[in-house]
Amino acid sequence: MKNIKSKRNSYKLFFNFFFLIFIYCNPIFALENESQSIENNIKINDNWKIILNKASGKTIFFHAWGGGKNINSYIKWASKEVMQRYNIKVNHVKISDTSNVVARILSEKTAGKHKNGAVDLIWINGENFSFMQKHKLLFKDNWIMNLPETNNMDFISNPSLLNDFGIPTNGMEMPWGVSQLNFYYDSKYLKYPPKSAIELKKYIINNKGRFTFPQPPDFVGTSFLKQVLIELIEDKSVLKSTYVKGRHEDLLTPLWTWLNDVTPFLWRKGINYPTNYMSLTQLVADREIDIGMAFNIAHASNAISEGRLPKTIRGYIHKKGTLANVHFLSIPYNSSKKAASQVFINFLISPEAQIKKQNKDIWGDPSVLSMNKMLPEWKNKFKNLSKGIATLSNEELQLKLEEPHPSWVKVIESKWIEKFGSSK
Amino acid sequence: MKTKYYNRLLKFILFLFTLIILSPTFIGFLGVLFPAFGYFPALGGNYFSLNFFNDLFLIPGIKKSLLLSLFIGFFSTLLALFFSQLILLYIFNTKIFYYLKIIISPLVALPHITMAVGLLFLLSPSGFIVRALSPWLTGYDRPPDFYLIPDEFGLSLILGLVLKEIPFFLLTSIAALEQFPANKLFNVGKSLQHSNFSTWCLIIFPNLYNKIRLVIFIVMAFTSSVIDMALVLSPSTPSTLSIRILQFYQSTETNSIFIASNLALVQVIIIIILMLTWKLIEMIIKHNYFFLFSIKFLPRKKYFLEKYFFSLGLFLIFLSILGIINSFFWGIGNNWYFPNVYPETYTLDHIISFFNENKVIILNSLSIALIVSILSIFIIIIWIESCDYLSINKPYLEFLIFIPLFIPQISLLIGLQTFLIKVGFQNYFFSLIFIEILYVIPYCLILLGPALRGINKDFLSIGASLGKTRIQRLFLIKIPLIVSTLLTSFAIGIIISLSLYTPVYFIGAGRITTLTVETLNLATSGLRQDLGVATIFQIIIPIFILLIVAYLNKKFTKWVF
Repeated sequence: MKNIKSKRNSYKLFFNFFFLIFIYCNPIFALENESQSIENNIKINDNWKIILNKASGKTIFFHAWGGGKNINSYIKWASKEVMQRYNIKVNHVKISDTSNVVARILSEKTAGKHKNGAVDLIWINGENFSFMQKHKLLFKDNWIMNLPETNNMDFISNPSLLNDFGIPTNGMEMPWGVSQLNFYYDSKYLKYPPKSAIELKKYIINNKGRFTFPQPPDFVGTSFLKQVLIELIEDKSVLKSTYVKGRHEDLLTPLWTWLNDVTPFLWRKGINYPTNYMSLTQLVADREIDIGMAFNIAHASNAISEGRLPKTIRGYIHKKGTLANVHFLSIPYNSSKKAASQVFINFLISPEAQIKKQNKDIWGDPSVLSMNKMLPEWKNKFKNLSKGIATLSNEELQLKLEEPHPSWVKVIESKWIEKFGSSK
Repeated sequence: MKTKYYNRLLKFILFLFTLIILSPTFIGFLGVLFPAFGYFPALGGNYFSLNFFNDLFLIPGIKKSLLLSLFIGFFSTLLALFFSQLILLYIFNTKIFYYLKIIISPLVALPHITMAVGLLFLLSPSGFIVRALSPWLTGYDRPPDFYLIPDEFGLSLILGLVLKEIPFFLLTSIAALEQFPANKLFNVGKSLQHSNFSTWCLIIFPNLYNKIRLVIFIVMAFTSSVIDMALVLSPSTPSTLSIRILQFYQSTETNSIFIASNLALVQVIIIIILMLTWKLIEMIIKHNYFFLFSIKFLPRKKYFLEKYFFSLGLFLIFLSILGIINSFFWGIGNNWYFPNVYPETYTLDHIISFFNENKVIILNSLSIALIVSILSIFIIIIWIESCDYLSINKPYLEFLIFIPLFIPQISLLIGLQTFLIKVGFQNYFFSLIFIEILYVIPYCLILLGPALRGINKDFLSIGASLGKTRIQRLFLIKIPLIVSTLLTSFAIGIIISLSLYTPVYFIGAGRITTLTVETLNLATSGLRQDLGVATIFQIIIPIFILLIVAYLNKKFTKWVF
């Protein structure tokens, strides 16, 4: 008797599973059909229970950049929560460069290791994502739509959640946070910070040795180069298409002339560069340099509250706007704990976790949730969040520049290394 | 008949044992050799070719990286040796000499990264020295736009390595001095009216040199391929060869693993070149004419530069201690802006929060170190005992154990890592311990080997005559006799394991992190407070271990003969 019942149940599960895959793999069903979405919700719940069951008792390895102390403690907090609620153990593997992890997954794939991969969850965006997508290293299409908390996101009015550096994500990575390149300076010593690439060039030349950026291929360093390129290039629309060798080479010339003019006047004459944006903080605190930069809009405020930057630090962005992007969470194709990873991701995008993330005293990374879709109680809580002293308001951050196509990144990086990163 | 059978079995087991111990070295070497020639079928390299050697010099800035590695490897070894001998000759036969061992043991125990961080805190434009002189002397109200560290030519890396290797050379030299009648020879030299300097050059050093030659080569192989210290102290445009290998290894480009392996092989070649150069210089100096020449021309009276060099050597040791003290201040200081010499506020928050967040890492580092050290000592005792039992007395067997120290860590580990991924071996903990033993055994053997072999045979024959078996003799006579050395080498094993960076980075693959790896992460992200705290832990733990061992030593050694 028991056997028959369980068999019937498993048929049901089996059927449900395929039905759901059919439904959710199809963005048309998932996003646009209103009446279906209510039905979907019920099915999501069924499906979700299966996932929750599978996830319990698993240990996952979350490979995420480990250079930020506040980010590390946030991840630690989230891990503790999912341990208590879902019995999932999350190990934060602190990495210094996401491309190492991508390389590892690729080498696993080439070595024929399609199961039990070392990586269960990865914090990713931009060229690393497009590389993984190109080499088919990611979990199936549109898995993100299966997670209940996705309901709080508005993909229609906020298409950047489904586009990573202009490349459609096909629902293969879950938006986690929003970031925008921003600069900070000490208002005690500097009255008018340079607010464009051209002004910045003048500033650097007039203030020898007081400006630098993290050494590319560091993420922020490369982004700074992209920012300069976007400001100097005449036709920005070219940057949205794939880089073609030969045709697009000349378009980079303004960037190289800018750097040629500026490099001798950089901090340490451009012979040494800081490793990442965190080391810029220390340099600004010591006043070795005048201007710092970060992708996290609350970075400077965080540093002030931790006693690592003076209280007179203020933030600014360039007049024409600065690069903005979304950072994502994704699951490699060869992870054997996809269910547990999904449960953890679902928790990370819940209003509870996102509000904690947006809190300036904890991380300060803006949420990806939409105010209109959240329950009113959460809406109020989000509205009442205060921002840090050196953090810009949403209005000030309105001018956002789109990321160039990922193919430009590798070109800019390798050319920079060739021209400036290895002294002649 | 029966014993013959047992002997054969034991021999076979010993052979197997050696094979297992050496297999990682072998596999690692092959794992680097094949991809270096473009052969790695899993990544589409199906044929052997010399392409990557031909393209070697097309890599931007590679020539400078190669030169840096050669330059740094040679001069840091030479200078460290020079200064260590200078300090020794100056204080040999004085009261300080007997305390020297106690002073330098903690310095030997410090991980390389700690020394690098200390130097960074001292010498950077916003570091302690500029702060101490500003603004009253220099007039700077903000850090100047010049810099000493890291410099373009790798001099600061050499400085860091010299600081770290001087204590190591001192310790090994002291041990070597005990192996021949150095005291008598020194007095002979002095009675011939030679100064300390010329006595040392002509009489003591030639004797000493033979005994520490192995150590010199080990240091040379290490310094030329060092990673952790280079990440902090070497120039970054471009960096040393070892860092370049690391960068290629980490890149997503499909053929970068071939380039990395190729460069790793080049790193081996560089070390061979360095050793050959050293050997050549050694041959020239050993040549009789040169010897006569120096006898004739070395002034017998006090050599005037000697004093300055000695002060410089002392200054260097002082510098490293100052750097460490500075790290302490960063660990407990808050709101410490330029040009303040001391922090505005002091707090223990950093230490407490660091400890809370990294409990697992600290525990991991300690437990790995403990297991590795115990296993290493166990293996050494079994090895020596069974060699003794089978009366195998072949020095080259022992040399095999030292091989991993002569191959650059990065080359060996890249090969091993490729192999582990290929095989799909997942137990990171087991592999890490296995690999660490490889690096810990040689150091333990240096200490334990001579002690175990040097036991007075009479005691053993008395034991045998009283009907004690071999195993009883080992536990009742041998081990009690060498308990002090045993404990010391146990401590050294722990300390070496704690300070390893590259093996943990590659084999641990992020899954297993130790304090040293974490410190380096912090060092590159420039959070001085956290870095200071990590450094404090890295100093306290080894010193604590040394203290425990010293205490146990006192307790267990009831008599000395």
